[in-house]
Amino acid sequence: MAPVIALNGVRKIYGKGAAAVDAFGPVNLDIAEGEFISFLGPSGCGKSTLMLMIAGLLTPTEGKIVLNGADVEGPQTNIGIMFQDNTLVPWRTVRGNVELQLEMRGIATADRRGHIDALLRSVRLLDFAERRPYELSGGMQQRAAFCQAMVHDPKIVLLDEPLGKLDAMTREHIRADLQTLWMERRPTVVFVTHSIEEAVQLSSKVAVITPRPGRIETVISVDLPFPRDIAVKASPAFVDTVRQIQEIFHGYGVL
Amino acid sequence: MAMASSESGRALAEGGLLHWLAKSWMAVAFFVGFFAVWEASVHLFHVPLYILAPPSLIVTKASADLPRLINYTGVTGLETLIGYVIAVSIALPLGLAIAFSSILERTIYPFFVMIEMVPKIAFAPIFISWLGFGLLPKVIIVFMVCFFPIVLNAILAFSSLSEELTRFSRSTGAGVWRTFVKIRLPAAMPQCFVGFKYAGLNATVGAAIAEFIGSDQGLGFYIQITTGNMRPELAFAGIFFLTAIGLALFGAITLAERLLIPWHISQRLLET
Repeated sequence: MAPVIALNGVRKIYGKGAAAVDAFGPVNLDIAEGEFISFLGPSGCGKSTLMLMIAGLLTPTEGKIVLNGADVEGPQTNIGIMFQDNTLVPWRTVRGNVELQLEMRGIATADRRGHIDALLRSVRLLDFAERRPYELSGGMQQRAAFCQAMVHDPKIVLLDEPLGKLDAMTREHIRADLQTLWMERRPTVVFVTHSIEEAVQLSSKVAVITPRPGRIETVISVDLPFPRDIAVKASPAFVDTVRQIQEIFHGYGVL
Repeated sequence: MAMASSESGRALAEGGLLHWLAKSWMAVAFFVGFFAVWEASVHLFHVPLYILAPPSLIVTKASADLPRLINYTGVTGLETLIGYVIAVSIALPLGLAIAFSSILERTIYPFFVMIEMVPKIAFAPIFISWLGFGLLPKVIIVFMVCFFPIVLNAILAFSSLSEELTRFSRSTGAGVWRTFVKIRLPAAMPQCFVGFKYAGLNATVGAAIAEFIGSDQGLGFYIQITTGNMRPELAFAGIFFLTAIGLALFGAITLAERLLIPWHISQRLLET
């Protein structure tokens, strides 16, 4: 089956001549439909850069990205993106922010109310639908942002460190939400993170990215059954996978 | 927040004055104390009345001259309001245009930044000599004082959308207009209001100085004439009415801000 996302010799260099910074790549990678793949790497390895290139919001210096069989040239509008800093606007409620995604696309929101309610309910936010983002905790804000990124039912979802700024307990909670939604809807998910545990717990595949210039060192398949709750972290397979990745990073001197 | 403001509205109706006094009695006491000390000092140190009049005398003399004061308040208030409204209606769209046009940004913008360094009030005598004693030169001077802070803040407001929201907009495929209405405009409002308020504070200064330089009516004229006639109590009354114009304008801008951007952090802090 043809991959949903294909990276062919993708490379990003910032600046020119002597001042040029080799930010990322070159990398080759095929991502299959319905996969939950993590881009796992240390800060500054270019994993966010890669995500933005897949979204068509940043142009690769070299190489080509193919999404659903078509070359990526310019912003992709048929995907869902959750940015590192959430894109909730303070002048709208949670519901209004979710609707913003639809309104920007010219989709009528009136007949989608039930759909939005269901989405908010699935992340336990329905009771807070009429609140403004600044009235919510960090974790609730991220869940609202997640609904905003998912409301137009994208088949490909890009998540850039969505849990990065949350405390450990909240992270655990939202990971579970994320997993449930992925299992229900089965979109192809690209999940950018620097947490080894998080990547292994959530992903079907983990692309381990080296320090700058980021390259994909290896892609590890995580063969543990879903759903994976906290208990899975004690299983030998989980522990082994985490250790395997730790050793790679240790070799690069980042661990 | 609409909810909270209706709550505070209800609180005000239900004996809110007492509540307000309980909260701000120190400020009120200081305010009253200031005038009491002023009154007492004038009597205690036998300050001649032509140097400094006590508040009580200001009130009585001003009451006697009230029709003229009110008339002049209307004159100066009109100059201020017209100048301010014209400044907003030209500066806001222009700031928007400059923020979105690289040609304007490279031509008009540096020119404006340079002009901003010039004390606009210094042009006042020139405008008066060109345009005479009437309403027009005053309106132009108020306009000039207000125009630059509004236009410069509008440029800043419309050109500083966060990278994430810019990317979000692009990822939705929304057109320029839709992005403007749904994201850029509301996001720019708080910074625009910084300009509106700053201009509002300076509008009456422009009007008063324009009247000092050349006019035959208005509060600036009144303050100058009464001072010349050694009637400082009336000059103070003029200042009081001038302040009232400034407060009314600033109050209107603040109210507009509260209604338009209740979600902004500056407004949220007011709630607590």
